[in-house]
Formats: sequence, structure tokens, C-alpha cells
Amino acid sequence: MTKVTITLPAAGSLHALEIWSNTMAVTERFMAEMGFGLPRLGTSGGTDALRLIRVEPCVWLVEGDPTALTTILGGDGTITAIGGGIVRIRLSGSGWRSLLMEGGMFDAESSAFAPGCIAATLIDHVAVRLHVISADACDVYVPASFSAGLLHFWRQALETLTE
Amino acid sequence: MTGPSRVSGGETLTFSFDGKRFMAREGDTLAAALLANGVGLVGRSFKYHRPRGIMTAGIEEPNALVTVGEGGRAEPNTRATDVFIYDGLVAHSQNRWPNLTIDVGSVLGLVSRFLPAGFYYKTFFGSSKRWMFYEHFIRKAAGLGKAPTQADPDRFSQRAAFCDTLVVGGGPAGLSAALEAAEAGKAVILVEQDRILGASLIRDPQEHDAAWIAATGARIRNLGGRILLRTTASGYWDHNFLTLSERCVEPGQQPPHGVAQRLWHVRAGQVILATGSIERPLAFAHNDRPGVMLAQATRTYVRRFGVVPGQCVVIATNNDDAYRTAEALSEAGAEIIALLDSRHRPPEGSAIHHFPVFHDAVPVAARGSRHRLRSVTAQVGSETRRFGADLLVVSGGFTPVIHLHMQAGGTLEWNEAAQAFVAGTSDQNVVTIGGAASPDPIDHATPAGDPRKSFIDFQNDVTLADVDLAWAEGYRSVEHLKRYTTLGMATDQGKLSNMAALGRLAERQGVSIPVAGLTTFRPPYTPLTMGALAGAGAKDAGAHVRRLALYDFHQAHAPLWQPLGYWFRPRAYPRAGETLAQAALREARTVRNAVGLTDVSTLAKFEVSGPDAVAFLEIVCATSVGKLAIGRGRYTFMLREDGFVFDDGTVWRLSDNRYLLTSSTGGADRMATHISYVRNYLCPQMRVSAINVQEHYVGIAVAGPHAKAVLAALMAQEPPRHMSTIPATLSGVPVMVLAASYSGERAFEIYVDATRAAPVWVALEDAVLAQGGSPYGMEAMEYLRIEKGHLVVGAEIDGRSTPHDLALHKMLNTSGCSIGASGLHRPSLSLPNRRQLVGLEAITGDIPEGAMLVTRIGAEPEGHVSAAGMRVLDGGSIALGQLQSGFARFGEELIATSPMRGKQTRVRVVAPHFYDVSGRRYND
Repeated sequence: MTKVTITLPAAGSLHALEIWSNTMAVTERFMAEMGFGLPRLGTSGGTDALRLIRVEPCVWLVEGDPTALTTILGGDGTITAIGGGIVRIRLSGSGWRSLLMEGGMFDAESSAFAPGCIAATLIDHVAVRLHVISADACDVYVPASFSAGLLHFWRQALETLTE
Repeated sequence: MTGPSRVSGGETLTFSFDGKRFMAREGDTLAAALLANGVGLVGRSFKYHRPRGIMTAGIEEPNALVTVGEGGRAEPNTRATDVFIYDGLVAHSQNRWPNLTIDVGSVLGLVSRFLPAGFYYKTFFGSSKRWMFYEHFIRKAAGLGKAPTQADPDRFSQRAAFCDTLVVGGGPAGLSAALEAAEAGKAVILVEQDRILGASLIRDPQEHDAAWIAATGARIRNLGGRILLRTTASGYWDHNFLTLSERCVEPGQQPPHGVAQRLWHVRAGQVILATGSIERPLAFAHNDRPGVMLAQATRTYVRRFGVVPGQCVVIATNNDDAYRTAEALSEAGAEIIALLDSRHRPPEGSAIHHFPVFHDAVPVAARGSRHRLRSVTAQVGSETRRFGADLLVVSGGFTPVIHLHMQAGGTLEWNEAAQAFVAGTSDQNVVTIGGAASPDPIDHATPAGDPRKSFIDFQNDVTLADVDLAWAEGYRSVEHLKRYTTLGMATDQGKLSNMAALGRLAERQGVSIPVAGLTTFRPPYTPLTMGALAGAGAKDAGAHVRRLALYDFHQAHAPLWQPLGYWFRPRAYPRAGETLAQAALREARTVRNAVGLTDVSTLAKFEVSGPDAVAFLEIVCATSVGKLAIGRGRYTFMLREDGFVFDDGTVWRLSDNRYLLTSSTGGADRMATHISYVRNYLCPQMRVSAINVQEHYVGIAVAGPHAKAVLAALMAQEPPRHMSTIPATLSGVPVMVLAASYSGERAFEIYVDATRAAPVWVALEDAVLAQGGSPYGMEAMEYLRIEKGHLVVGAEIDGRSTPHDLALHKMLNTSGCSIGASGLHRPSLSLPNRRQLVGLEAITGDIPEGAMLVTRIGAEPEGHVSAAGMRVLDGGSIALGQLQSGFARFGEELIATSPMRGKQTRVRVVAPHFYDVSGRRYND
């Protein structure tokens, strides 16, 4: 039987950061201020206190306190609160990749999908965003309205899952 | 001793067939175990109830269809050759009464001459009422197994997999290909429908043996390959996407971990089809009797299962392969009475002389009694001879298993020597190898014997005479032939019958088989359990519902839930003894007289911000946004590029460069796509952010003459006037208060971060109850909005209406910069006879929703009823509708008719506003 633990980490603040002009300048200001660069598409970056995930060409998902980002953006972008609509579900254990393949449409078993990678996909017809946080854990950002159904689906799947 | 047998020893499993207990060995199929126990009669045919035995040893078995398992796990129409014995297996024969040996239905066989192909079409015709009479009896007589009536207690899993190489077929060719790919560093999946790899090597030992099979399988696994046994590639779709059906347990067996079957969704870089071929039977009279078996199947029973299907054997063949069966049977102690070879000369290099071989010899008829074979009549040259036998082994050549190649869009080529279609080219990355690519050559012999008793489709009781009849009656196309005779249908899908039928049709047409054509192989080729696809047993697969953030608070009132897209929303909150209609009317009247509260969280919401926010919104919205003052909002609607209205909502200016755009629930996903399209493709240069906040905010609407009092009691500030918004705090939680109405009453929508919405709902509900109000659901909302004349997407906004049709044209942004503005200039959108929004009042009775609007019964429809309701306080049926030249027809009387429901009502055309036309109730 595959071992996976499903948890709901304490809800952190979630915002969408969108840059609409002077992207290079904002990137430089960001690097100078935060000490790390804005992550490129398909990846995440940051610290435990503030983590960014690039979800669209000019949009990042920001997890943590975004106060400092407003100054960095200046007039070149904005931050919008979206945390009420997203539930973060953590899948921990060696079998998280197998669990994601259950009802999934994405090659979560690919070795290229390594810690720091993010992907948008469908799990059992639900649009989700995956974030590999370590070799043994993955965070899944799920629309809040679907979270109860998907949790139920995963818990049932776990009872019978084999790698 | 005659008939099938096996030297006993090693039987450890018990199973039952038709209530009788038997013993079996581990690894036996049900068919092998039945033969080992001397059971030759296994089923009854579909149409004539003819006795049938076991003909094959694989998934192509047309005769031995049984029901395996009990209760919800019962699986009808399971091939006895495709289920492996487990301890306690329960199987029953089908399509017989009172029992398999004495079946009353077999009298149909006595009148079979009166039941030819097309019998139903020729006999059961006439009016629909007569058909309803016939249907009762036909349905009783039709079908093989019975579908279980209890719910399947097991689960069905659906799982994705990706690989570089998918190999279908675990025989020697498939194993070698999978090993080669794995050793080349590719991610490999190998699927085999049997429970073991390399089963054909047991039947026909070659240079590879069991040790090679085990070593090869282990090597593939060690290299990271995945081997799926008891798995069938059930469909080949676009872009090398295949579905695989895996049996985690045998039919009827209780799965140890809950999952009975798994449907794999596999995307492969390359697909290698090593699917082998299926042996064909020969056509002769009574070729369907128990005791007639295919040659390779016979070898399988002898060498894999240790079962000797008969002691005195006649073999009839048109190819070399059957000689190997003679060897196998002889080694097992059976006597080869005669080997009938349709060819005129012995096979080249043949060293087999110790069997009595007859050349230019074909079987004419099989005879038997008590459901056992007794003799075989053959045409040997010009002479007719009769041989006593309890087993007739036949081989009519081989049909490559090419359905997956064809499903992949591949072409087929005709192999004249083998008289078979083989895989040609394909646009997908697929290759066919092994026996499927190179079938053995055969001799094409014309069938002998009575065509009326020479079966070609055993499962559907189709004979050579049926094909001849179809031809004589004008059915020239192979597709028509199939449907007229039922050939190649049901679980069998023509595995054994297709080539024989095509041969006969081509012979009648005087053309070659490839000219005669071939029917299409649609998936699944091998039967699938419905649960594996999407049945109730699949539980939540594809059936998630979106749950409201305030679900628990609604559930406390035990509402009736209504599906709305993926959402479930409260339809009404009935009190004890109330019907839906009563509850909805009470709730609507509460809103009219006092105050109601409802959950509008599902509305689409977008936060649009940035210096170009106004410019962006004026492209998306067909109304003007630029003059909106901070803290004000207005109704808006959106057009498609062709000028038709596709959604509506409100737009609010929250601050200098920040707006909130709302639109309908049903169109939310479409609007999100539209916003993204406009932002990223049409306006990438704009300094704007458009973020979907549909789920971020819970929306709670408070409506009614006491709504303002409710808000005032909870807020430290004056509630905003109609179509204004303010930020506020409710129960210590920051909220946005939007004064907007969808009911015709003074109303507010309170938007709050979904994670903090609970105390806000509680406070509002308490205040509403204190004002004599109550929660209200979708049904009451519908009554209220129809009476006020508000539009809804999917009813009035149905994708066919322009702003002018809906009387919205005065709100259009005259700058012409919005999407759809140019489309509105098309002349056809200005024609006077377009359907236009109207109100309808019933003169008598109730207006049926969806009814046609006609001037008299029988006249052409001139419009339809898009939504029907009633006057909430005064009673009386009212509706909204769309009517040709409707704006000019106020006062006219029409008939709203719904022939399907047998309803019609006289109606009067009026303006589409039935309540507070001046809007005074919005004012404080």
C-alpha cells in the first residue's frame, strides 16, 4: 500500500501579483530588495516567509505577507487578494506522485518534476496547481469549492493505491 | 471414455457452475476447469438457443458466455475462457430455462427457417402502439445475461500513466520489443490481457522457454518498466493516447483493497502492437456443436492446462498450424481419427505421416446427441466419408488483431496468402509486430455443407444462408449487411465471424474481399465493465460538485439543493409540510414584504486594476464605464464579437484605478476565459491586472423593504444608496457592501473574504430573522427576477439576442470600442421581425415554461416562453418570452402551447416588467 499523508497546512495569505509594465526594472528592484529573483515560469522561489509561484507570464501567486511587494511594484503592477478562494493541500510521503496520477492528467512521476517545480493540471476534472516542495511532498492549490470533493476522492484513492 | 478430461491431481480450488461444485487447479480458466471436469455444454445461443460448448481459449470466445459472481458483483456475459478460477467462484449459464440441458427456448431452433435475418424488421412493424405491444415480448426474449440489480460494492479507479513505449501484448514478440526498449533507456509499459506473460510459448514451445519469459519480465521491471497483467488495451485515441482496462481481481471476486478494475489513461511516445492473431473457424453444417473447437485453443488446453478436450479427434484445416495440434493431442494420448486438409498436397517439408491425413478434404457436417459430438461427415475429393469422433478441431486460418491499429487511424493492407487484413501505415507513432504483422498462409476453400446450418457468427446465430438472404434482398454494403443480420455485434464484435462474412459477401458480389469492404473497429473491441468508465461504481470520478463556502450554514436549514453547473445551491428552504412551490412562494413574499437573505457567492467576480482599467473594461463591457464615480456601480452586459449578448452583471468603481466586475454564475468559466483572452491577446500592452476572484469572495444578498434596516443595525455607517458601494465592517470583518438588486426590492450584496465569511452570515441571518425575514433560495429568486423583468443567462440571454432584442440598446457605449460593437452593424441584426423580449400575462391558466408562442394552433411559432413564474403578491401566471417584432405587439393575444406536455394557455403580450416599473422601491 502506498503511503501518503494528506494535510491542510495553516492557511497563509495568498495574493496574485501582476506586473504590467517595466518588467525588467521590477525584476531588478525585486532582486535588490528581497535577495532572490522573481521565479521563472514553471518554478517557485522565495523563503519560508514569502514564496512566489509564477502562474502566468506576468502573474505570480504570492504566499506570505505581500506588504513589501507593493513598494517594489510601484506603478508597474498590483497585488490582489485571492486567498479566500484557494485551499492548499499538502501530500506527503513517498507515494504522492502515484496519488496524483490517480484521476490525474499530468506526468507527476517524471523525474523532471523536481522540488521547486510547479504545474497546472487537472485532477479528476478539477483544475489544480501543483508545487513540489521536496522529494517527499507536494502542495496542491485547489479551488476552495472543489476542496472537499477532492479530499474525499484522494482519501478514498489512498485506501487502494499501489505504486 | 469420451469427451473432455484431465488426469486428476493438483486441484485445490473449488468453484460451482449452475449450482454444481467442481475442483480446479490454480491457473485454470473457467473454461479449462469445466473441460477438465468433463463439462462440454456451457451455454445456449442468443437466437435459437442452440447448445454451445467451448470453442476457443481466449477473449474471442463467442459461445461460452456465463454470469460470474453474485449480487452486485455478478458480471454477465463473461467469457469462460477469460476468467481465472479463484476459490469459491460461482458461475451460471445464461439464456436458458429451466436449465442448460433442457431449455424450452430451444424450440426456436425447430422453427429457425421462419426466423431468418431481418425477421424482426419484416414482422414487427406498424404503428408505434403496436410496437409497444411487440416490445414487451421481444425484450423478454432478447439478451443473454441479466444485468445485476444490486449496486456494485467495489470501486473502479482511473489512473494516468506516461511512457516512451507502450507494448500491447506479452507474447514473445511483445516481450522482446519491451525488453529492447527498456534496455535502450526508454520508459516502458507492457500490457498483457492474460494473467501470465508468454502464454503462447507454453502452447508452442520455441527457442524461448519459461525461464526466458521470467528473466525477460524481471529485466524489464528492473529497468523501470511497468508490466500490467490482466490488462486490455481497450481504445486507441488521438496523439498516442490509449485506455487500458486492468482487472485487479477476477469477475465476481471480492477485491482485497477495494478496487475491482482500473482504467489507465496512457500517453505513449510510441506504441508497439504485438497483439497476435485470432484463429478462424470453418463453415459447415452444425459447426456450432459442443465438441467443435479451434486448433490453437485445443493445443492450449492440452499443453497449458493439461486438459484433453476429446479422445477421438477429427482435425479439419486449411493451413499447417493444425498439424501441431495433432501432435499435441497425440502426445496427450488422444487418437487422431482423421486430419482433413483442404489443400490438395501435403504441406512442404511436412514430416507428419503418422496421422491419417486426407487431402482435398473439408468437413460437411458435425453430428451428435446429448450435446456431445458423435461423428463428422466430410467431403474427401468426390467421396463423402463419415468419421466417429468426440472432438472436431478446426482451423480456418488466422485473422491478425488489428483493431487498435485501425482505431489509431491506420490503413489496412490485404494479405492474399493469409486471406487477411494486416496493418498498413498510420499517422500516429505505432507499429505492429509479430503474428499480427505476418499471419500464416492458408488455402481458401469454399465451405461445404448446408448453409442454413453453417454458422459464421456463433454469438448472434448468423449463418451463411443469412448472408445470402441479405444479399438477395439487396444489402450490398458490408455496413448494411452487418446491421441487417446482426453479424459482428454484441460482446463478440465479429472476432471470429468478420472474415467469413466478408468472404461470403465478396463471393456473392464477385469481387475480392478488400473490394467488398470492412466494418469499422470501434472501441472497445473487448467488453468493458461500465463501472470502469463512469458508472456508479466509479464513485466520484468526474462527478465532483462545487461546495459553497457557507455550505454548513445552509445545510442547517435542510434546503433542497439544486445543481447549477458544478455548483449545488439551495433551491428553497421548505418548512415542515411545505412543497417546493409553497416554500419558494413564501420566501419570495418574505422578500417582498420584509427581508430575505441568500447566498450569491457563485457569481463570477473579477478585480480589475491599473491605470488602464477603464479602457480595459470598456473593451469587455458594452456599456460605458469611464464616467463611473468612485463608490458607484452600474448594470452592464458583454457582447460576443458577432454582437450577441453573452453575459451580464455589474461593474463597480472601488477606488481610483480599481474596479469589481461581476457576471453570471452559469457563464463564470466562460467569462474567465474571455477576460484572459482580452487581457493576454487583445490588450497585452495595457497597464491593467484582471484577476478572477470568484471564490475569494463570498457574496451574501440581503433584499427587501427591511434590508436597509438590517444593514444599518450591523454597520457603524449609513448603508449605501442604490447602485453605490462602500467598504465597511460587519461583525469585525472587513466587507464590501454593494447596493444592487436582482429582486426588485432595495437590496445589498455583501462581499467578504471566504475564509472570514461565517460570522458575517451569522450576523446577517440573525438580523434578518429579527426583522421577520428568512433565507431564500433559487426558486424564490426566479419568481422575483421574472416579476421585475431581470434577465438571466441561459434563458433570455441565450446567445441569439442583441442588445436591441433585449431592450438594452439605450445603454450601449456609443464610442464603439467594445467587443461586439462593430458586429452590431450587420444588417440582419436590425431586421424588424427579430425576436424581442416581451412580458406575457396568462388570460387563463398557467403559462408553461418553454412553450411556443403561436397566433393559432397549427400556426408557425413566432416566439417562445423563456421563463415562467407568477406575481408574487397578487398571484397570476406571468412569463418572459421572446417574440417576433415583440416590441410592437404589446396587447396582442397569443397562445402559449407546449404539445409535448399537452398544455396550452392564452396569453397577452405586455411589457417585460410586472413590478415597480418606476423603480421607486430602490429609494429609501
